[in-house]
Amino acid sequence: MQTDNTPFFQIDESVQVDDKTRIDTMTLNMGPQHPSTHGVLRLILTLNGETVVKAVPDIGYLHTGIEKTAESKTYYQTLVLTDRMDYLAPLSNNFGYTLAVEKLLGIQVPPKALFARIALVELQRIASHLVWLGSGALDLGAQSVFLYAFRERELILDIFEACSGVRMMTSYIMPGGLQADLPPNFEQKVREFIKIFPQRLREYHDLLTYNRLWIDRTKNICALSAEDAVALGLTGPALRASGVVYDVRKMFPYGGYEKFQFDIPVGENGDVYDRYLVRMLEMEQSLNIVQQAIDGMPEGAWVVDNPKIAPPPKWKISTNIESLIHHFKLYTEGYCPPAGEVYQRIEAPKGELGFYIVSDGSPNPYRMHVRGASFANLQSLPKMLEGQMLADIVAAIASIDIVLGEVDR
Amino acid sequence: MSEPQNTDTLSSSAHTLQSTAMQPTADYIQSVLGGDLLEVVEYRNEVTFVVQPNRILEICLALRDNPALQYSLLEDVTAVDWPDRTPRFDIIYHAASLSKRLFLRLKTRIDIDGADDAPHISSVTSVWPSANWFEREVFDLFGVVFDGHPELKRILMPNDWDGHPLRKDYPLTGIVLPAPHWGGQITYGEPLPQGEGQLTLRNEGGIANTPESEGE
Repeated sequence: MQTDNTPFFQIDESVQVDDKTRIDTMTLNMGPQHPSTHGVLRLILTLNGETVVKAVPDIGYLHTGIEKTAESKTYYQTLVLTDRMDYLAPLSNNFGYTLAVEKLLGIQVPPKALFARIALVELQRIASHLVWLGSGALDLGAQSVFLYAFRERELILDIFEACSGVRMMTSYIMPGGLQADLPPNFEQKVREFIKIFPQRLREYHDLLTYNRLWIDRTKNICALSAEDAVALGLTGPALRASGVVYDVRKMFPYGGYEKFQFDIPVGENGDVYDRYLVRMLEMEQSLNIVQQAIDGMPEGAWVVDNPKIAPPPKWKISTNIESLIHHFKLYTEGYCPPAGEVYQRIEAPKGELGFYIVSDGSPNPYRMHVRGASFANLQSLPKMLEGQMLADIVAAIASIDIVLGEVDR
Repeated sequence: MSEPQNTDTLSSSAHTLQSTAMQPTADYIQSVLGGDLLEVVEYRNEVTFVVQPNRILEICLALRDNPALQYSLLEDVTAVDWPDRTPRFDIIYHAASLSKRLFLRLKTRIDIDGADDAPHISSVTSVWPSANWFEREVFDLFGVVFDGHPELKRILMPNDWDGHPLRKDYPLTGIVLPAPHWGGQITYGEPLPQGEGQLTLRNEGGIANTPESEGE
């Protein structure tokens, strides 16, 4: 049994440089209740003056045991837990989990569900990046960006609300398709957003991209080389900012992404500014994908016609005894995928999100493991911070875009 | 059906896969490990290689450094507990090759070592530094000890936690949560002072959960 006795504040080391000078380092605790740690992240910093010598992240404050809970839930009930991990991108989590379960079940979803899902998760990516943009700029003192970014995010949340009835914890994408048909005004709302957003994106560029203060605070700050980034398991926009072309949507296409045309923005230096630019350009590409999904959206069913997996429609339940039994069985027992194991990786807004599910043929997942993108990305923070200034720590934390709900799960 | 590719040149113990992209990986692992490659399973277009636990470090290093494969990104390390099986734990590694667009799953089976009542396996942090936190997570939640890990301590649970929550014999409910600042944790199996499973704050005299004793 170990005990972490690190005190909050101490002078813990003293290095004798020569006869007359010595260097003292200081241990400083940052967090867990710190506004720029984006949740409850604690950093134990060793400082030499204002320079970071070592940073040790301390996590686990939001650990809720989702993996353990999933073992006692049915596959359908577990879907609801996935919303709570990366709570800024719940639809992406739903999508990853759903694809894993569908892979396990070996089913194909109707084309309408396929297109709708991609439109929704790309809108979700924009929404997640907008939160990152707003809060990241706020951390560095640019307060107005936060208000603009949240104004546009509101439009996306309205679309989600029209679909599922809730703004954040939607659980809208489910194994077999979608929970309900898309609302009648879905296309109109999304097209309105597509029309508005490019102009708004230019506004953000005007505010930040060529802003001298922003460039001073972000350029050549906390850079990470491509080799280090891959070795430390960094994924997502932060990895691409270091110049590594790895996007799961292109590399290992899933859920119908092979039908869409889009580009992967890649940075050069891997510093905070490049991570910022990669995400800004990614929003344009996501908008492009949403446009294609809306244009190509087929008519038809939104969920598989398989009463063993998706509940039959309400009118059937009230007129047909067989459907009633299916409904009852689904919500009491659930479905039993064949025994086996699958790993489904998706490109979530934060990086590679993986769901590893082991089935033993029972209605509950025998084991569900989540490879949280934020968990893996946070691991590269100490390397990023080495030799950087104390004031740049908030820039680094913002630039890898972590959500502590996903880090601790 | 499997491709009728150069099966003649392969040795009789070699594995022929349906996914041709993974065939070089399978052949390479076979050539490095020989009989220590226990099983090759293909399921839903994913290939799992089950290897002997004592060769895991060697095969990970070989897969990363082989220029024709280059499994440079370790995606995940996790474990599965099978309490009724004799090697009780599965340790699972997911790795991807960014330049060759490949991914694989390595699996090894280890059992609890009699010496310190914990399963042991070599750490792969020297191959992929990103294994650091993944292995700490497995240590925390399953109690698997990764030998050679630079900093093996709990990561998600509190440092003074008893037991490893993701083991199958760890109950989902029924334990008293620790009172971190003013008392200790009651370990599972120990009788509770009063009542059962009451998640109340404790004072020095015992459980203060009755209306009479609550008046401060």
